[in-house]
Order: sequence, then C-alpha cells, then structure tokens
Amino acid sequence: MTAPTSDFDPLTVDVTGLTVAYPNGNVALREASFALHAGSICALVGINGSGKSTLFKAMMGLLRPSAGGVTVSGKTIRQALKRNLIAYVPQSEEVDWSFPVSVWDVVLMGRYGYMNFMRIPRAVDRRIAEESLARVGMSEFRERQIGELSGGQRKRVFLARALAQQGRIILLDEPFTGVDVNTETAIVTLLRELRDEGDIMFVSTHNLGSVPEFCDHVVLINRTVLAAGPTTEVFTEENLLRTFGGVLRHFRFDESTVQKHDGRAVTVLTDDERPLVFGKGGHLEYSQRKGHEAVVSQRKEKEDEDDVPRK
Amino acid sequence: MYRLLEPFQFPFMVDAMVVGVAVGAVCAVLSCYLVLKGWSLMGDAISHAVLPGIVIAYAAGVPLAIGAFASGLLCAVLTGYIKANSRIKEDTVMGVVFTGLFAFGLVLFTKVKSDLHLDHILFGNILGLESGDLRDTLAIAGLTLTVILVLRRDLLLFCFDPGHARTIGLRSGLLYYTLLSLLAVTIVVSLKAVGIILVIAMLVTPGCVGYLLTDRFNRMMGIAVVTAAGCSFVGVYLSFFINASTGACIVLLQALVFVNALVFAPKHGLLATRRRRRAPAAAASAATGIPS
Amino acid sequence: MIETLLTPFQYEYMLKAILVSGVIGGVCAFLSCFITLRGWSLMGDALSHSVVPGVAIAYYIGWPYAAGAFLTGLLAAVGMGFVKTKTRLREDAVIGVVFTAFFALGLLLISLFPSQVDLRSIVFGNILGISNSDIVQVLVISGVTLVVLGLKWRDLLLFCFDSNQARALGLNTTVLHLTLLTLLSATAVAALQTVGAVLVVAMLVTPGAIAYLLTDRFSRMIAIAVSLGVGTSLVGAYASYYFDGSTGGCIVTLQSLLFVVALVTAPKHGLIAARSRRRAAAGPEGARPAAEPPITR
Repeated sequence: MTAPTSDFDPLTVDVTGLTVAYPNGNVALREASFALHAGSICALVGINGSGKSTLFKAMMGLLRPSAGGVTVSGKTIRQALKRNLIAYVPQSEEVDWSFPVSVWDVVLMGRYGYMNFMRIPRAVDRRIAEESLARVGMSEFRERQIGELSGGQRKRVFLARALAQQGRIILLDEPFTGVDVNTETAIVTLLRELRDEGDIMFVSTHNLGSVPEFCDHVVLINRTVLAAGPTTEVFTEENLLRTFGGVLRHFRFDESTVQKHDGRAVTVLTDDERPLVFGKGGHLEYSQRKGHEAVVSQRKEKEDEDDVPRK
Repeated sequence: MYRLLEPFQFPFMVDAMVVGVAVGAVCAVLSCYLVLKGWSLMGDAISHAVLPGIVIAYAAGVPLAIGAFASGLLCAVLTGYIKANSRIKEDTVMGVVFTGLFAFGLVLFTKVKSDLHLDHILFGNILGLESGDLRDTLAIAGLTLTVILVLRRDLLLFCFDPGHARTIGLRSGLLYYTLLSLLAVTIVVSLKAVGIILVIAMLVTPGCVGYLLTDRFNRMMGIAVVTAAGCSFVGVYLSFFINASTGACIVLLQALVFVNALVFAPKHGLLATRRRRRAPAAAASAATGIPS
Repeated sequence: MIETLLTPFQYEYMLKAILVSGVIGGVCAFLSCFITLRGWSLMGDALSHSVVPGVAIAYYIGWPYAAGAFLTGLLAAVGMGFVKTKTRLREDAVIGVVFTAFFALGLLLISLFPSQVDLRSIVFGNILGISNSDIVQVLVISGVTLVVLGLKWRDLLLFCFDSNQARALGLNTTVLHLTLLTLLSATAVAALQTVGAVLVVAMLVTPGAIAYLLTDRFSRMIAIAVSLGVGTSLVGAYASYYFDGSTGGCIVTLQSLLFVVALVTAPKHGLIAARSRRRAAAGPEGARPAAEPPITR
C-alpha cells in the first residue's frame, strides 16, 4: 500500500536548529535538532506549552521557522507534502464532531491529494479507502456520521484517513486520549506494522507509561529538544525529571517497607495518566515484558470489561 | 384567481423573483460553509465594510461592484492581520474593523455629492432593478455557483480540517482567500436585492436550517438552497400584496422556516431532543410501575 | 478662522448634541471594557440591530422609544441564549439568525406603517435633532448604568474573566450574566440616538480594545477607555457640524483612527514592540509569521 517514493529513499526526517517565534515575539521553540530514520516509532514527550504542537505544525509546513528547518530525505517539507508523504492524525479536541460528514467522507479525504481537480474519487481511491477502513476494523461504520462514534472509533477513522493517504511520515497528536484500551492496543499494533513496512511515526503523548511499550525512539522537549535518541538511552528518570520539572508526580519506594520484602527499587512517575514505573534495571514495562505477555493481556482484558465506550 | 396571478404581469415583479431566487441560492450554498466554518459573522463584517468601497468607486467612476468587493475583502484581510498580530480577540477585532470602515464610508458619503441612495444600499431595492441588473446578477451568481461547486470538496475539507488539507498538499492559503472572495462577491451581488444588513441573514439562516435537518453535507446544501430559493420567491410575491419591504419579507420567511426546523427537526429539533430526554425516564417509570 | 471653528458652539442643538454624545461615549466605553474581555463584541452588534422593531412598535403605540427598544433587545438576547443552549449550532450562527430576523421584523413594520418612524434616524442616529425628553431618557439610562457598573464592577470583572471561579465564590453568575446583558441592551438603546444601530457596536467595542492594547491593569483600562470614549464623542460630535450631520460616522472614524495608532505604537502590545521583541528573540534574521493566513475555525 505504499506509494512510489523512490526519490525519498531512504526515508529520513531531519530537524536542524529549528527555531520558531510567533508574531508577538514569543519563542515557542529554540534550536531544536534531532533525526529520525525509516522504520521507527518516535514519542514526543513534553508538558503542555513545551512546543509539541509547534513542532508538529513546523513538520506539517504550517509555520515558517525563523531559523533552521525540517527536511525529509534531504528535501523540503513542501516537496514532501506534494508527494503526500506526511499524514496527520489530529487531537480529538481539534475536530468538530458534529460536522456533517460520514466516516466514508473522512477516509476519502485522505485520497484528495491523488484525485483530480474536482476531487472525484476513482476506483483506485475507493479501493484504497475501503482497505484502509478495513485495516482499522471500521468497515461496518462507513455510513455513520462521525459524531455518532465512540472515542476509540473516532480515532480509528482518522488513522484510516492517514492510511488512505499512504503517508510515510505519520504525525499522531495525543492518539491515546479518550480512547478505550482495545483501540489503544489496536493502534499500537497498527503502528508496529507500519514501522515494519518502513514508515516513520511521530507520536506526541502524555501517556508516559505506554512510551517504552511501543516507541523505539523518544524526543524530550521543553521549548527546545532536551534529549533525543533510542528509548533505552533517553527515556531515563533523570531526563524525564528534567523535562517535566516539578509537574511530574514522583514516588520513590526504595526506602519504603515494600522494598524490604521485594528488594527492587521502584520509582513511579506520573502526570496523572498511566504511571511510568522504573525498577532498578530500567523501566519495568520494557525490560521485563518478555515472559509476562500472559499477565499483560489478562490485565488488558480486565480493563476492557471496565471500559464503557464513550457516547 | 386573477388577483393571485397579478404579480406575474409586471416585468419588474418577474425580474425581482428571478434575481431573488438566484441570489438566495448562491447565498444558501455559501452559507453552508460559513455556518460550518464558524464564519457567520464574517458575512456581517464584510457586508458592512463594502460601504466606503461603493462611495469611492462612485467618486472614481469605477463600477460600484468592484469598489464594494475591494473594501469587503480589505475588511477580511485587516481582521485576519490584526488578529494574528495582536492579543485582541477575533470578535473584537471584527467589530472594530468593520464599524471603522462603515463609519468611514458614512463620512465619505456626506462629502461626495452623489445620486446614490443610502437606503437602497442598506436595504436593497429589488423592485427597482435596472435593465442591466438582471443580466449582471445572473452572470455573477452563475459564476460564483460554478466556482463553489467545482471547489466544493476542497472547501469542505478546508472547513473541516485545515491541517489535513495542508498535509495533502492543498493550498489552504489559497482556499482561505477563495472562500473570502466568494463571500465578498456574493455580498456584492446580493446588495441590490436585500441590502447590506439583511444579506447577513441570507448568508446564515439557510445553512442553519440545513444543519438542523441533516447530518450529510450534500443534503444540507440541498435543503439550504431549496429553503432560500423558496423563501425568496414567496417573499417577493407576498410583498406585492402586503406592500411591505421585500428584503424584510424574504428574511422573515427564512426565519420562520428556521423556527420550524428548530422545533420539528427529526433528530436535532427541540421536540426530538425532549422526546429523547424523556424516553429513558418513561422506560424507568414503566419498569417500576410508577407513572412519571 | 477661529470664528469658523467656534460656529458650532453658537447653536444650542450643537451644544446639546456634543454634551449628550460625551455622556453616552463615556458610558459605552466603560461597558466596552467588560464586553471585549467577555468576548461579546458581536453580541453588542446583534442587540443594537435587534432594537429596531421595538422602536417601531413603541412609536406606533406611543411609548417612549427606549422602553420598546430595550424590550426587543432583551428578547433577542434571551432568544439567542435559548437557541444556543438547545441546539448544536455555533454561537455566531445563532447570533446571525436571530438579530437579522429581528431587524427584518423592524424593517417590515416600518415599511407597513411608513409615517410612524424615520428609519434613517434609527439606523444612523440623529443626535442633532434630539428632543429634550429623549435627552432625559438617555441621561437616566446612563446614570443607572454608571451606578450599577460602579457598584458591581469587581463582580462583573470576575465573571468576565472566569465565570466558574465566580460561581465557586458563591456569586450568582446567572444574575451577573443577565445584568451585563441588560446593561448592554440599555446602553445600546442610549447610543442608538447618537450613532445609530449600525455603529453602536463600535462605541461598545473600540474604546475597550484600545485600552486593552495600552495597559495590563483593569482599573487603568477603564480609565483609558472612558477618557477616550468621552473625548472622541465630544470631538466627533463637534466635527460632525462640518460633515452634514453624520455624527456617528465622525465619532467612530475617530475611534478607529486611535485604534490604529494604538495597534501600531502601544508600548508593550503594539506591532512595533512585538517586532523588536521578535527580532531580539530570533536573532538577526527576524522571524516572520507563516505565509498562511490565520486558520480560524
């Protein structure tokens, strides 16, 4: 399902010295630099107002940087956009859910870049849209108005749109907010598949606990890039505390009575979503997942039962 | 019977009906986008702001429509610029800009000796159309409609998700100015029929009616056009008999349709919502055997 | 030369017009501080158009014009609130539908009973021909508005800034909401005389917007807005002697010019200040906003 993008091979995203200042003089982002290569899922982590959405907008070509810039395989954002390379899955709050469009309409919008001037869908557009919808498991909802879906279903529709667009760099803004655990699992599975196909996923998230689960790279941001690189190296307690300052809740159990029996030092970091748990040997989710799949899936099932789809 | 057909015997009445229906249809199509984009009051602002353009065009001997179009667009551009570059909220900016332009137009009007009728600019003069007006109006209305219909999917996407429009390579800046220009042109076309104040209604009400009645865009547009065209026709016809302001008749009819849609719309109407709210309560009381 | 400039003061009607304009300008400016902070600018526009049928009816049945205008203005406000809470329509669309319907009704009534009202004086105001009883009405409205604002401005400020907090403090936000709406309708009616229905909104928005550009303190904002409101109204009314009686046009044009000056040169929030800040922040290149227009939803 990948569009021919030979001149964009190998696919890379390079952010170099990116500085963005808004018209009122506030600098939202200063000299941010990092690089992503094909076949990676990268988490973008930072507090509100740290410049996450500014970085997204710059990567979508919506803002003109005051210095530095973003290139895709050495080419400009504009060239990448022309080739439909960059797809964007918006935050739920950004979408007007009472807008009179159906699921099908939204997915077809992903194909507009390929259609003629009047945007009349060809057979191939319909086929790809249908496949995309099927891939996120939403085929049966295609005639629904988008406001009639649950939070998780809504997210899937916009993912389907990104798939239909056949973008190879997919920007996801808070994809797990207001989403049921089923959908969260489905999204993570899909992102992994896309990674294996060689795409680049860039995910902004508050959900620290899920980062080590599926992201192989992390960019920590607070008005500039504090650290970027492989999750195992960058996603450390020290870096996170630097990123979040005093905003994170921070529990250390190594002095507590629990420790005496267990012998493992545990630190919990949370900004009120799923907590991130550090053991002595790194993050527990990441280092000790192997051999615990059964436990994890059991826990998921339990959560699913508790989860009532949003109206 | 003869009396009921009487309006059709006067050419000026027939002209008025044709122009009314054409203008109503164009405004209705555009209103669907404005309502969804949250630009309803942009119509308000632009329509007031055309005044200085008209006066200047008159003084300079340029066709009035061109002046009106230019100053309407100027208002929209200024609003966008000030909003992006200052901390003032958009609604305030709009209020400041369009009243400023309108006031400037008024002051100019007193200084430029003209045979322009301020009343006609403000309230329209659909029964006094001149020979070329019918042709001009139909031509511009047809052109505007064509452009909207060709671009209708792009415009819809632009209203729905400008970020996505951008990532798939649509020129969102171009669409922004296209929509503004279409709005300005439509207002200029409608001036003769309903004037600058009531054109706001034509640019908002039909879209609202459509939005209340359906969840699909194409249907919404259809409903809006039928509503507007119907109201224009009946409004012109009716004003002949009660000898009242034609523009006011058209707009009041639209308002009447709106109220009906508001109350009776099958899914989003007041009655439907009330029924839905009651339904769970009724089910509960049926279960316990206690009447609610 | 000086004699020419003093001519307007020789006429009693001019003196009256100048003074009444000044009073109305001041009251509107006071209120404009709240309106701009609350984001109600276009509500002001809507209400000022909605009073037209009230004026027509009041003339027809022989009431004071202010009473009728005030009633229909309030009715429109309540109607907007009702439709907005009951439907999924956006607020701006609701405002658009309701006020144009009211205005059309006014127009219809006036066209049906042409001799009763002069439409022009409603739409453009007629301060030069204001009668003594109208002056009394205007002064009463202004006085009441000033007293209410003077007594309750802290509550109203909190309501505009953070209505949830106001509720949490035990203030009755519904009452505050209605108070502000009532004051808005009342001043719109008063200002109708001076500048007319179309330009009322300028008096209710522009002074507040200018002051908001110039200061970060609310008390100073009120002071700036009121002095600008009074000043521009006095000068504008005076100047309208030379502009064929277009008092509203003169006052509002003056206010708009001051707005442009403030927008460009305001010490902290002006365009020049922002530009130099941007330069300083982003180095010698200087940041420029994106080529795209602002994306509004």
